[in-house]
Amino acid sequence: MELAQVYSVSDFQAVCNQIMETAFSGVVVEGEVASFKVNQGKFVFFDLKDDQSSIGCFMMKFALRFPLEDGMKVRVRAVPKLTNWGKFSLTVQAVMPVGEGDLKKSFELLKKKLKAEGLFAPEKKRPLPDNIVKIGVISSTQAAGYADFCKILNERWGGLEVLVAHTQVQGMAAADQIIRALNYFNERNEVQVIALIRGGGSADDLAVFNDEALVRAIAASKLPVITGIGHEVDESLCDLVADVVASTPSNAAQMLSRDKKEVMAAIWGDMSRINNLFNAEVDRLFLEIKSSIERVGGDIIAKVTLIENDILAQKCILEQLNPENILRQGYALIKGDITVDNVVDITTANRNIKARIIAVKERK
Amino acid sequence: MTKTKKNVSDKIADLKDGVDWFYSDDFKIDEASKKYRVLVDLAKEIEKDLAEMKNEIKVIEEDFSK
Repeated sequence: MELAQVYSVSDFQAVCNQIMETAFSGVVVEGEVASFKVNQGKFVFFDLKDDQSSIGCFMMKFALRFPLEDGMKVRVRAVPKLTNWGKFSLTVQAVMPVGEGDLKKSFELLKKKLKAEGLFAPEKKRPLPDNIVKIGVISSTQAAGYADFCKILNERWGGLEVLVAHTQVQGMAAADQIIRALNYFNERNEVQVIALIRGGGSADDLAVFNDEALVRAIAASKLPVITGIGHEVDESLCDLVADVVASTPSNAAQMLSRDKKEVMAAIWGDMSRINNLFNAEVDRLFLEIKSSIERVGGDIIAKVTLIENDILAQKCILEQLNPENILRQGYALIKGDITVDNVVDITTANRNIKARIIAVKERK
Repeated sequence: MTKTKKNVSDKIADLKDGVDWFYSDDFKIDEASKKYRVLVDLAKEIEKDLAEMKNEIKVIEEDFSK
C-alpha cells in the first residue's frame, strides 16, 4: 500500500482523462438517442444507449449538424471523459444519424427548417457562367464518381483548367473538409464555378450531404455551386441548396462543358446551310439572267421576222415586175426601130426571133 | 505589333460572325465564294484545335483534413 502512487482526486481524474484521451481519441460509438435536450440554447445533452448500457453524452449546439430526436439511431465521434463529479460521459465532437429510417427522419426535419429560412428559394439560384474555362472540383480523387466526372469532361471539351480539392466525401470528417474546400475556392476566387462531386452509395455514405453546416456553407458561397451527388434517385440537402443540380457526376461534367462533337456538327451544319444559300442565290441570278436573255432574244426574233416579212413582200413585188414572168404570160419584147421594112429582135418566153416590119399603124 | 493568337472560343465567334454575314443585308454574291472558302478553312482549324485541346486537371496541395 505504501508503494502505490497516491493521487489527489483531481489528479486521478485528470490522469484517467489523459489515458482515455490517448486510448480512445475520436472513438466512434453507435447507439440510440434518449433524453435529448438543449440547455440555454447552447449545450446539448442526451444518452446513447443499447439493449444493456447507456452513456451520457454532451456536446455544443453548434457542433450538432443533424436534427436529433429520441429514438434515433446515431453514430457519434467523441472523447470519453470523467467529469469533475465523477460521472463518465462522452464529449461529442460530431454526430450523424445512421440507418435509412433515421437518416430520412433527420433529412425531413432539417429540410423543413432550412426551407422555412428560404435557403432553397428558387430566386437564390444562380445560373452557370457562360464560357466556363476554370472549374473548382471538390471530391475524393479516389472516388469512382470523380473518375467519371474527369472522363466525361475530357471526352467532351478541352482547354479547361480544373482545380481539384481532394476531401473525404463520406464519414464524419467529410463535411468539415468539404466546407474548408468551399472556403478555399471562395477566398481565392480563381474558379468560375464549384462542382461538388460524389458517386453513388448507401444512405449512410451520402449522409454527409445532409449536414447542416455544409448546406449553409453552400448557401453562403459567393461562387455558384453545382452538385453531382449519387445517382438520379438520390436527393440531398446539398442538392436542394445548390445553384444547379446534376443528377450524377457524369451529368455535372456534361453541364459544365460543351460537347466538341455537337459544336462541330453545328458548325458543319451552318457551313452546309450557307453553301446552300450561296448556291440558291447563284441559281436565282442564273435564272434571272436567262430570263432576261430570253426576253431580249424574243424581241430580236420578232424584229427579224418583221424584216423577213418585209423582204418577202418586196421580193414578191420584184417577182411580179420580173420581165421573164411577163414573157411567160405570153407577152413579147421587141427591140429595134419600129419602121416598115426594118428588122427587129423579138423575145418571147422561149424564143428569140428576128422579124421584118411590114406595116405600122397607130392605135386609137 | 505582336499578333495575339486566337483561342478556339474566339475562332468559333469569328465563324459565327462569318455565317451571320450570309444572312445579313451586307451579303454580296461576288464576295460570298471567297468568304465561304475562308470559313471552311476556319471550321477545319477549329476542328483540329478541338481534337488537340486537353484539359489541365490539377489536384490542390492543400490538406483539407486539418
